Amino acid sequence: MIIKQAKEVLNIEAQSILGLIDRIGPEFEQAVELILKAKGRVILTGMGKSGLVCRKISATLNSTGTSSLFLHPAEAIHGDLGMATSGDVILAISNSGHTAEITRILPILRQIGAPIILFTGNLDSPMARACDIVIDVGVEREACPLGLAPTASTTAALAMGDALAVSLLKVRHFDKDDFRRFHPGGNLGDRLSIKVREVMFTGDRIPVVRMGSTVKEAIKIIDAKDIGATLITGNEGRLAGIISDGDLRRALMSRPEIMNLPVEEIMSPSPKTIDENQTAGEALALMELHLITLLVIVDVDSRIRGVVHLHDLLGREEFRFNGGL
Amino acid sequence: MEAFEAPKGLIAELITPFESDGAIDIPGLKRLVERVSPHVQGIFLASPRAGEGAGLSLDQRLILLKETMFFLKDHPVFIFFWITGVHEEQTMETASTLQKWLKDKANPRNLFIVDTPLLYHSNRSLSLYYKQLSSIIRRPIILHNDPEIIAYLKKPFKRNNIRTAILKELSEMPEITGLIFCGSLERGYHYQRACRKDSNFRIYDGDEIRFLDYPSMSGAISVGANLAPKAWEKITQSSLLQMDQKYKYPDHLQQIWKTGDCLRTISNACQPFPVSVVKKILKEQGIIKTSAATSKDHDVEKACVRVRECMGKMMVDK
Repeated sequence: MIIKQAKEVLNIEAQSILGLIDRIGPEFEQAVELILKAKGRVILTGMGKSGLVCRKISATLNSTGTSSLFLHPAEAIHGDLGMATSGDVILAISNSGHTAEITRILPILRQIGAPIILFTGNLDSPMARACDIVIDVGVEREACPLGLAPTASTTAALAMGDALAVSLLKVRHFDKDDFRRFHPGGNLGDRLSIKVREVMFTGDRIPVVRMGSTVKEAIKIIDAKDIGATLITGNEGRLAGIISDGDLRRALMSRPEIMNLPVEEIMSPSPKTIDENQTAGEALALMELHLITLLVIVDVDSRIRGVVHLHDLLGREEFRFNGGL
Repeated sequence: MEAFEAPKGLIAELITPFESDGAIDIPGLKRLVERVSPHVQGIFLASPRAGEGAGLSLDQRLILLKETMFFLKDHPVFIFFWITGVHEEQTMETASTLQKWLKDKANPRNLFIVDTPLLYHSNRSLSLYYKQLSSIIRRPIILHNDPEIIAYLKKPFKRNNIRTAILKELSEMPEITGLIFCGSLERGYHYQRACRKDSNFRIYDGDEIRFLDYPSMSGAISVGANLAPKAWEKITQSSLLQMDQKYKYPDHLQQIWKTGDCLRTISNACQPFPVSVVKKILKEQGIIKTSAATSKDHDVEKACVRVRECMGKMMVDK
């Protein structure tokens, strides 16, 4: 019984979105053009659950390159209308087309000079008659008994909002660089955008020993800094080499007594380096190419500025190369 | 023919009141129409279920229509009138007689013809048939899809539902303005998808319990509105978002929920003999003279007890 009910609700909601496909028309294109030409922002307004849908659409617009904000219709008449300017575009959502709070602010928005787009399920409503562009988001049926809670209608409005945001994104040629800019905290943004200088270790956290130090001293540093390697510096602090856990293992295999040897005897010269202005994605590609987990950032004089580790690019949970280590 | 838009909202499926000799109970009809009409957008006359249309003669149907039109002359209420006969010729004859009668009428704008095509016609060449029918009766047509009634009245029939592709074709005809739909929700989706290009094409819920559970946005055909028109008005307006803000008092949702629950109980209690139950209650209320019907008498006292209880609980139709 419960499963059947749930399936019916999902079916009704799915149909509500499918229903929009055949009804989408030139007014949608006009809405996209209007927003593209606007000098200001897209201001969304709606009451109750439509208001919540507005907030989500506003967030989607912001993250896809269209500046947007939410205006609560009830707060609007108490001063928040000041945020609207003639350069903005208003996007109102009202399924019934009768929402009193929005109807009250429409004339003032008209006076301000901001064009108004309406998402509604009632094309004959007073709000539909008062708006510049009306987009039909009507549904055939609500999924809630007695239609007490808007269900399919809010799903349809939300989907139409996504259609608008994605259409704007496409028309603006919003590319992955733009996406990175707006998603610094997101997975995709992390992986694609962050510069090496933003994730590299600097200062005391860099494991370093001087040439002439013993292997024992190098092991102490490797252990203390906990990134599986230490850098070796030569004259005037210039990068001379690297000793990794692998280097230590290989050295121990060939001659067991290595503790008192100078580090230069077992280090790998010419560690792989990367410019601090290159991206994390490029650092990752370099690590994958050479099957290493650490890159050194040096200045023009080969002095060490920092170190970037694979963990800092992918997170410890995703530490795996395509080819395996 | 000029374009007509079918109404959105509550369409009361009126029972047909009879005198004990089988004639139409005109005073009873008047009282019923006067009781129901202030709360509905439309009245469905001589319907095949509650209106017992299949058992009415052409004269009886026309009396129902004439009298109701007279009673409603000052009310902006639409009339849905069922014209289906046992075969194509009889339906055409009803349409032709009706058209002749309507010629003298000043303003029959609010009259819609309802037809259940599969009772006498197959899906094949249905659109051609409706072109012929609409050349005879110059009124907007509302289709009626009711698989149960077709199975009941016409058992050997091949198909009980209008095919979706045929409905799509029919919905594109300007004369056909809507559909009264009974059947599975899944078929309902297919029909909606077929007709959704025209946002003015109405698909009414022919099953009032379905409407209470998942309200469609065109409206409902309700037998229960004979008994509780105010409650049905309230529920339909709320479901279709037609309710004025001033009615949204603090416990609005709770009242809607309770009223809807009572209406659902009444609808369930009326099954499987809604005509007998509704007529018995209306007779008790002094609205109609007798509970006479075209079908045989059923013992519906238990159902009536439940209906009376529920009606007692409801604030609006006390």
